[in-house]
Amino acid sequence: MNFLGKSPLAAFPLLGRSRILWSALLLGMLAGGCATSTPTANTTSPTAGESPAGTTATTGEPFIVGMVLVGPKNDAGWNQSHYEGMQAVVQQMPNVKFEYIDKVNPADRPNVTGAQVADDLIAKGAKLVIFNSDDFKDDALETAKKHPDIAIIHASGDYAWKEGKNFKNQPNLGNIMARMEYGKMMAGCAAALGTETGKIGYLGALINDETRRYASAAYLGARYCWENYLNRNPDDLEFKVTWIGFWFNIPGKTLDPTKVADDFYNGGYDVVMSGIDTPEAAVQGKKAAAAGKPVKFVHYDYKNGCDLAPDICLGVPYYNWNVPYGEAIQKAMAGTMPNQFVWLAPNWSDINNPQTSMIGFLPGKALGDKKQYIDQLIKGMGDGSINLFTGPLNFQDGTPYLKAGETATDQQIWYLPQLLQGMEGPSQ
Amino acid sequence: MITRTLYYQTAALGIATILISSIIMLSGASPITVLDSMLSGAFSTPDQIARVFSTLSPLLLCACGLMFTFTAGLYNLGIEGQIVFGAIATMVPIRLLENSLPPALVILLAIAFGTAGGMLWGLFAGILNVYGRINEIFAGLGLNFVADGLALYLIFGPWKRPGVASMSGTEQFGEVLWLPTFGNTEASPVALAIALLALGATLLVLRGTYYGLQLRAVGYNLRAAYVLGVPSVRQLLSAFAICGGLAGVAGALQVLAVFHRLIPSISSHLGYLALLVAMLAGTNLWLLLPIAFFFSALNIGSLQLPLSLNLESSLAGVMQGMLVLAVLLGRGLSETNWLDKISVLRRNV
Amino acid sequence: MQVELQHISKRFGNVHANDDVSLRVEAGTIHGLLGENGAGKSTLVKILSGFLSRDAGTVLLNGQAVEILTPADAMRLGIGMLHQDPLDFPPLTVLDNFMVGRAGRWLINRRQVVRQFRQLADQFGFDLDIHAPLGDLTVGERQQVEILRLLSLGVNTLILDEPTTGISAAQKQALFAAARQLASQGKSVIFVSHKLGDVNELCDRVTVMRQGRVVGNLEIPASDAQLIDLIFGRQLAPPIKPETTREALALRLERVILRSDRLHIPIDRLSVRQGEVIGLAGLEGSGQQLLLQLCAGLLRTPYGTVQINGDEMTQRPYADYLRAGVAYLPADRLREGLIAGLSIQEHIALRYPPKGLLVDWPETLKRAQAAIALFNIRGKPTTKVERLSGGNQQRTQLALLPVPQNLLLLEHPTRGLDIESTLWVWQQLMARCEGGTAILFMSSDLDEIMQYSDRVLVFSGGNVSEPIEATKLTVERLGQMIGGRFEEASV
Repeated sequence: MNFLGKSPLAAFPLLGRSRILWSALLLGMLAGGCATSTPTANTTSPTAGESPAGTTATTGEPFIVGMVLVGPKNDAGWNQSHYEGMQAVVQQMPNVKFEYIDKVNPADRPNVTGAQVADDLIAKGAKLVIFNSDDFKDDALETAKKHPDIAIIHASGDYAWKEGKNFKNQPNLGNIMARMEYGKMMAGCAAALGTETGKIGYLGALINDETRRYASAAYLGARYCWENYLNRNPDDLEFKVTWIGFWFNIPGKTLDPTKVADDFYNGGYDVVMSGIDTPEAAVQGKKAAAAGKPVKFVHYDYKNGCDLAPDICLGVPYYNWNVPYGEAIQKAMAGTMPNQFVWLAPNWSDINNPQTSMIGFLPGKALGDKKQYIDQLIKGMGDGSINLFTGPLNFQDGTPYLKAGETATDQQIWYLPQLLQGMEGPSQ
Repeated sequence: MITRTLYYQTAALGIATILISSIIMLSGASPITVLDSMLSGAFSTPDQIARVFSTLSPLLLCACGLMFTFTAGLYNLGIEGQIVFGAIATMVPIRLLENSLPPALVILLAIAFGTAGGMLWGLFAGILNVYGRINEIFAGLGLNFVADGLALYLIFGPWKRPGVASMSGTEQFGEVLWLPTFGNTEASPVALAIALLALGATLLVLRGTYYGLQLRAVGYNLRAAYVLGVPSVRQLLSAFAICGGLAGVAGALQVLAVFHRLIPSISSHLGYLALLVAMLAGTNLWLLLPIAFFFSALNIGSLQLPLSLNLESSLAGVMQGMLVLAVLLGRGLSETNWLDKISVLRRNV
Repeated sequence: MQVELQHISKRFGNVHANDDVSLRVEAGTIHGLLGENGAGKSTLVKILSGFLSRDAGTVLLNGQAVEILTPADAMRLGIGMLHQDPLDFPPLTVLDNFMVGRAGRWLINRRQVVRQFRQLADQFGFDLDIHAPLGDLTVGERQQVEILRLLSLGVNTLILDEPTTGISAAQKQALFAAARQLASQGKSVIFVSHKLGDVNELCDRVTVMRQGRVVGNLEIPASDAQLIDLIFGRQLAPPIKPETTREALALRLERVILRSDRLHIPIDRLSVRQGEVIGLAGLEGSGQQLLLQLCAGLLRTPYGTVQINGDEMTQRPYADYLRAGVAYLPADRLREGLIAGLSIQEHIALRYPPKGLLVDWPETLKRAQAAIALFNIRGKPTTKVERLSGGNQQRTQLALLPVPQNLLLLEHPTRGLDIESTLWVWQQLMARCEGGTAILFMSSDLDEIMQYSDRVLVFSGGNVSEPIEATKLTVERLGQMIGGRFEEASV
């Protein structure tokens, strides 16, 4: 897996004639620009051998679901969780055929927009198209308008939220998102339980409502566990966010997450939480640990993320996208347009149930016997006795966010305008 | 001589075809299927055909611009930056006047600003080249980085969406400012008309005008042209400016017709692609349109490679590069007098 | 080391640059090689040092036949050449230049190299700053570095190609002392020169070449008259130029300086009248080209003034010179004069800017056809100039000259042309003179200079003579001046 996407410098022989030489250099640059070495997308459907004969699969044409992925499908993060979620759906619903294109972003496919990819997926027969990044909100809307008979789902957007700020009233456009702030609280808690130095680094992506929400939730979780389970002074907890500018590294355009993670580990931040799609926090943490540094990390997005470096993993909040996608596909097959804003909380009775809970949290080995505190937190959040979005809470600039005793509304959580007081790092 | 060149070129194309086919087969597919799927990916739906045309317009503009610099003997690798700076300049009237002037006027102003912006960036490269004595390739590449950096700064800084700092670009502007399109597709007749107009003008200027003749003189032999009284500095700078201007229009089209906002890679690397088009066309201006069209089709069709064949779509880039390299090699070899070379070798041994 | 060349022949196309040349240089001697432009001296030493391959003949070193195909072969065999324009790397330091060309070692012990350099430099009394960039050194100092480098590589035979131009008197003495010291060590030195005085001062023997052959082999000292007789071997052609000179001045130079890397030639005053022809004689690279380019506005003089037809032109841009009716015809036609890739009619079109934007191609075609007919060019209007023969290229260049013309500056106007073309070209030029055009031309053909000039300037060794009436020139006088003896000649 090529996490860093460094362009291979193409070496061409010097051909003497300057025209040819420069052309060769140019070609090298082009090749460098295009060639990211991860293998890429294709079509997967229940292969004929596996699909149980005599089930619904025989009833006729498969229902084609298209997906536009912002990053590589094997990023051990956000995109892989979407991809595998759909694979799980396909396993359960043999009549569904899955088509996708990954790496739809200006760096990997410079001349391609999400809407164009959707057009092609629809041309191939897709009846439901899923966009998996906040960045696709305009593309999703454009596609929905252009193809009113196709169901469009935009994961992580809010255009279908009637109570939201950006409601667009597009009947065939729906949003799906998980209440990952709960997962992030658990993750933050794990980070606080794991740190020796009291310094937690948060490897942030770009800055928007969603990322502010998650970073803040992680901070709230960390502070809660630091204060209540470890009985430490919350002022001694440092929580620093560094944004790289996108969901993953784009050389030359974003900060290099490898370097940001290294800077955290070298700068006394012994726990780094990942807020991006790719696993630099884990990879660099593993290297630092191998070099004898007592560091740990908290992963994000992808269920098997701890496998990257099991010994120093404090846990991973993850998505089961099969849960909402399976439901949405069933509805779409029945002819219902997904014009809803779906924002799913975990199944509190069993958050790690892959069939019923859209979010889960898997504690890592490095947590050791402190795992019990996480369980306490989950239990408390599940039964409502713990609500971390409860006042008094101030924004980073000191202005009040929630008054004492006040709990945040969905809108206040979704559209969090600033990071919270006590966190370091830019809010916008 | 013409037949000799033709002979070499045909052979070169044949070799390129064989090489490309072997690469495709090495990656486990059949060349025929690949070609078929790329063609069907470019032409099987109106959307796709429209996309070929919407890529064609900026590509053709850049390729036309590059004909001026190539004619003057310059390798304007700075064209990417000229597109980007043109796109940035395009955004200025849009952001300032979006709500205060009639849309048509804003669009006109935006294109004018884009042209001027690209021209300015091209002139920078020219001034560095002519007065700073920096090779235009390095001057251009340097300015590409600067323009990219500026675009990133604006997207993350002053022009960012409220509350958002993301690579994904500025806020989309209102649909009234989008260039009109053919039906519900992405192709804009305005963009296409501008590109064809530019092609016609390029043909006329380079083939028919005294300016074009002087430019050719400078390109073939700077020193002799100077001795013969051609104002060489002015010619070089104007070639940079014209190329930059056309690239700036391309940048404006990327903003107005394709992305409807400023994004970090607004050029879509069309400048580099245009360099390939221009190199492939050589001095034959009539080839620009078919080559640009073919390359646009390859680019659009390549999206089908991951979709239906599990292949990297960058294969299209490999094919384009291979073609250009083969043709240049064929051209180079056909100009070498092998009999002379061999006899020189013999004598020396 | 004894060096012997036997029956060496080398042809360039029709030109027999070396025709059955035999020469022996004994170990421990300094051997001079004299001859005028194109006599074949350079070709001969380039063959010996591996820069050219011979067509026939044998090279013997200490009696053994050897094959020298490349400069590296020559170095291996102990033959090194100090080129007229040093083949060195000005941006690198003296030390780096000194180390260039050492074969076979990956790692260089710099300290040892420095010690070796100092030792060699002391031996010859060269005072060189080892860490200075070579570009800051004078030509003479650069020569010294190159000599030390060659010696450190084990050279036994040192070829010096015109080494005394552009260096100071002290440097020349140091160079000569070094050459004598090498000879006393049993090494041999070949001294290629055109300066009679230098040859007489330094050499033990001298071989004189003319038109590719050896014409004499003398013990030194030899008299100037004897040498000049051998070098030229003939009387000069008589002047045949018609009288076209008018009263009015076409060109007037005052206190200008011709400058290049190695030359610094002051010209106190030069006046050329309309219709007059001035021939510039001398060894190539002695400053003739600089004078032509200065008059053309392509070079600037640091001081002094340039006037053309009475108009002050000093420091004016080249375009003003063109407007003033100055034209310059470079010798390197395809590099500086014509534009390879463009056709005859496209050149014509360039010369006549249209009123509007578009080129009037039908009109241009007519003009091109007329020019082709008038100047007898073998080519079609659409023929690219690089496909024309040398003579036809020259005709094309002449066809492109605007009329009227005040000052015409020509480099080798007939080089490479057959006799018929040469006569035709001069006919055209004389016709221009009748019309009042003044001509300055350089040529390595002394007969051409004698035949067509009113007055002659002789360039030699960083000096330029006063203008001399062609009718008053004798071969002896010209030979002495080209040989660097201005004092004797000016009597």
